[in-house]
Amino acid sequence: MRGVSGVDDILVILFAAVALIGAVSAHLQRDRFGKLIAVGIIFGGIAPFIAARGYLDVLIAVSLIVPVTTIIILLICRRDAHDA
Amino acid sequence: MIALYLVAAIAVFAAIRATVEKNTGRKLPYVNVMNFAVAGAIVLLLDHPLALVAAAAYFVGSTLEANAIASTYAGGERRG
Amino acid sequence: MLGQLLHILAAAIVSWILFVTVDVFFRLPEAGGVSGASAIARDIEAGGGALSGGTMMGNIVCSPDASAGTLLAACGVYVAGIPGGLVAAALVFIGNRICHDPGYAGTTGAVLATFVVYGFTQVGFAATDFIAGMVIAILTIQGLSHAHASRLLARLWRVRQ
Repeated sequence: MRGVSGVDDILVILFAAVALIGAVSAHLQRDRFGKLIAVGIIFGGIAPFIAARGYLDVLIAVSLIVPVTTIIILLICRRDAHDA
Repeated sequence: MIALYLVAAIAVFAAIRATVEKNTGRKLPYVNVMNFAVAGAIVLLLDHPLALVAAAAYFVGSTLEANAIASTYAGGERRG
Repeated sequence: MLGQLLHILAAAIVSWILFVTVDVFFRLPEAGGVSGASAIARDIEAGGGALSGGTMMGNIVCSPDASAGTLLAACGVYVAGIPGGLVAAALVFIGNRICHDPGYAGTTGAVLATFVVYGFTQVGFAATDFIAGMVIAILTIQGLSHAHASRLLARLWRVRQ
């Protein structure tokens, strides 16, 4: 039976597990690409919760903002590696 | 409803595989599986025409992210 | 319960055949569309896979191709019938252009998948079966064993040549 939020307990556990795996992985990864990929996994776990509440406009905006942020961080990383 | 549980379980599986894998080039296909699963889950959670646009925005955004990471990885490898 | 699982399994097989056929037809295993795809192909080959299969997997990662088209078309048919599928094809086309991919594999795959999924909904399948089926299909290619999947794709590519 679906609750008000649209997700039941099993789904909450599964999607929260994705976000937590991403968070722990971002802490443990040594490589900078590994860290950025892990941040992407965190957002993958959070997106279904935004969708379940029905905030689709928020989800569209955030799904476009997060990759752009990652690309900007990548540019900073690249310049850093080039200087070093 | 069983489709939603299946998709969520695949997302968890792909996230674990992506975390365990060491090589960046082989990590990205696992992340791609997770993106497919999450985009499917968004539409399965909410049956609304805008959910299609949201799933497409999520999918295209994360593909663009993977593309940028992969090409920076390729460029960095060639330079270094 | 069991009937629905069988439907999902059948949908997975149908969408697997559909997207692999369209991708191989559009020569995705031939060359990396962007430099990232070639890097992924090199890493998969270093892990014991085949280069042409790895190139196709890299192309799937780096740009929305027929597999993404099939998934979004199934989503579109689920929310809005055939018009939804065609809107999904348009979104995939925009996504291709954003990712610097000159090909039409994604758009073609989405249009084809729209009619395939709509046809199957007329004979007792639900569109949700195809969403879950497509996720299983991409799991078998990208998520289980890169070495075996790339060798299988390379064998299919040799047959097409």
